[in-house]
Amino acid sequence: MVWRLSTELGEETEEIYEPSKATRLFIVWRKLKKNRLAIVGGGIVLLVVGGALLAPMIAPYDPLQLHLGKERLPPSREFLFGTDNLGRDVFSWIVWGTRTSLYVGLAAVLIEVLVGLGLGMIAGYFGGKLDEILMRITDVVLCLPTILLLIVTLTMFEERGVNVIIMVMGAIGWPFMARVVRSEFLSLRESTYVEAAKSIGATNWRIMLRHILPNMLSTIIVLATMDIPWYIFYEAELTFLGFGDPLTVSWGILMELGRPYLRSAWWITAFPGAVIFLVSLGFNLLGDGLRDALDVKTRV
Amino acid sequence: MVVEHFSTRGRIVGLRTYIIRRLLAIIPTFFLTTMLVFTLINLAPGDPVLVMLAMRGKSGSPEMIEQMKQALGLDKPPHIRYLMWLSAFLRGDLGFSYSTGQPTIKMITDRLWWTLELMLVTEIVSLALGIILGVIAAVKHGSLIDAGSSLSALVGYSIPSFWLGLELLLVFSFLLGWFPTYGAQTSGTTFPSLFDALLDHLRHLVLPVIALTSAWVAYILRLVRSTMLEVLRQDYILTARAKGLKERIVIFKHALRNVLLPLVTYEGYSIGFLLGGAVVIETVFSWPGLGKFAVDVALRRDYPPIMGLTAIIAVMVLLSNLCADIAYAIVDPRIRYD
Repeated sequence: MVWRLSTELGEETEEIYEPSKATRLFIVWRKLKKNRLAIVGGGIVLLVVGGALLAPMIAPYDPLQLHLGKERLPPSREFLFGTDNLGRDVFSWIVWGTRTSLYVGLAAVLIEVLVGLGLGMIAGYFGGKLDEILMRITDVVLCLPTILLLIVTLTMFEERGVNVIIMVMGAIGWPFMARVVRSEFLSLRESTYVEAAKSIGATNWRIMLRHILPNMLSTIIVLATMDIPWYIFYEAELTFLGFGDPLTVSWGILMELGRPYLRSAWWITAFPGAVIFLVSLGFNLLGDGLRDALDVKTRV
Repeated sequence: MVVEHFSTRGRIVGLRTYIIRRLLAIIPTFFLTTMLVFTLINLAPGDPVLVMLAMRGKSGSPEMIEQMKQALGLDKPPHIRYLMWLSAFLRGDLGFSYSTGQPTIKMITDRLWWTLELMLVTEIVSLALGIILGVIAAVKHGSLIDAGSSLSALVGYSIPSFWLGLELLLVFSFLLGWFPTYGAQTSGTTFPSLFDALLDHLRHLVLPVIALTSAWVAYILRLVRSTMLEVLRQDYILTARAKGLKERIVIFKHALRNVLLPLVTYEGYSIGFLLGGAVVIETVFSWPGLGKFAVDVALRRDYPPIMGLTAIIAVMVLLSNLCADIAYAIVDPRIRYD
């Protein structure tokens, strides 16, 4: 864009005007980059994603392959993290396990966001009976310890697999998201811009989706990021307790199998647990960093 | 939970009214929760009588099965059965285990104390550590201690409790032999005195408490630290300092009091959290409490204890949340909108 200006001497000059590059995304990214812990977290997450995508290339063996005669071997050059009680390579299991964990985390968060956002949005915006019903459901789910509710719900299923666990976790996890969304919608619907939109005849759905929702996006992103490690953790805990399918390549299964051999073959439980810890840490650091970066009150 | 139930009237009510209303609000939640669990259990596959017989290694003729069904009331429709269960529950009868035949209530009371003890000790240790470290971190904001505490809180929060428990067990029980490896007491031995028995019990308690504390102390530390930071920014703190009061008095007499407020209400939710943690910690350490019990009966699909345990835990959590809300209302009357 070019402006033509006159100077004092009556001459014409040109100035080039360019719109500012400081878009919201740019600002958020810059703040995030400066947060060292967030970068560490982001690095860990990238490592996990990389492991999941490149698993066939990184893992030296098929995780389910039994190496007969080589059961319970300590870490060595042949088997980096040792072998489990059936002779399976622990390292390969962990690498392939990233796929399972990411699948679990992302799928469950997806359910949580879709259902929680949808219902929370409606309850928060329209209020009234719908809101009351939603709050009742939320109260019910929140009044029992999560793991207990998960266990009890799982007893109702005959089969034990990753998908069942994901569904159950999603079914129990969405009320938490719905509650947050609902309270934000409740307060944001009183905003001036909503009033303005209504006055020019915007429909309720348009207001909800195009006006209120974008303002909530950062909250949802942070919440979803912080919930992913929880789902990974709960899946591991459930499988560790015995509610999983022993043939799934999940980190929790390895911990369950290795538990009787804690003294004789410590590597079977130590490494999967350490990985779960690191992944949790990574997502938590990233989530914390995202929260700070998305907060409009903090400056670069 | 407290502030969200707005009404159009928006006036502050007296404390007694508030308590009564909150108590009344719990009752439908309890019904809904138990109904939900009852429904879930009833949707489970398998005929209960056949399951029960199978667990005890017996089988029966079709007539006998029919008789048992009638005796247990299993031939009636679900809503009737729920009401039957509810009336029995209110009388203190939680049914009998399918596998052991023991009354559920006895199975629960046998184990209740162990879990409560674990939770209580964890609570005390977590509060002590969390408050001390949180206050120090806030007072020395930006220092190495602050960064260190925050980081350890993050670690404690992210670490999987069952992994921590297993590694503690490995290092301190198996390898170093400092602590016993399972249970709440060494079985099969008689102790020369009560003191020795107590000491033995305490040795069993150490590792489970450490494992359970790690996550909870992280929450408390974070809460205390952030609340303290906010409080220290307040004007009345500035006034206190301007008056020339010693810093120690400023912190302990003026600031800490306001930090304890949200902490007290937060504590009400601790039961839910600690019970959840206890489930897996008790399993790892073979601690004879309700957590391990829950896992055992759920894996066995022993429905009466599952139902009874869930109902009791729901009551415990609801009541403790109520206490948290009441405590908050006592301290901060602005909350009592209803």
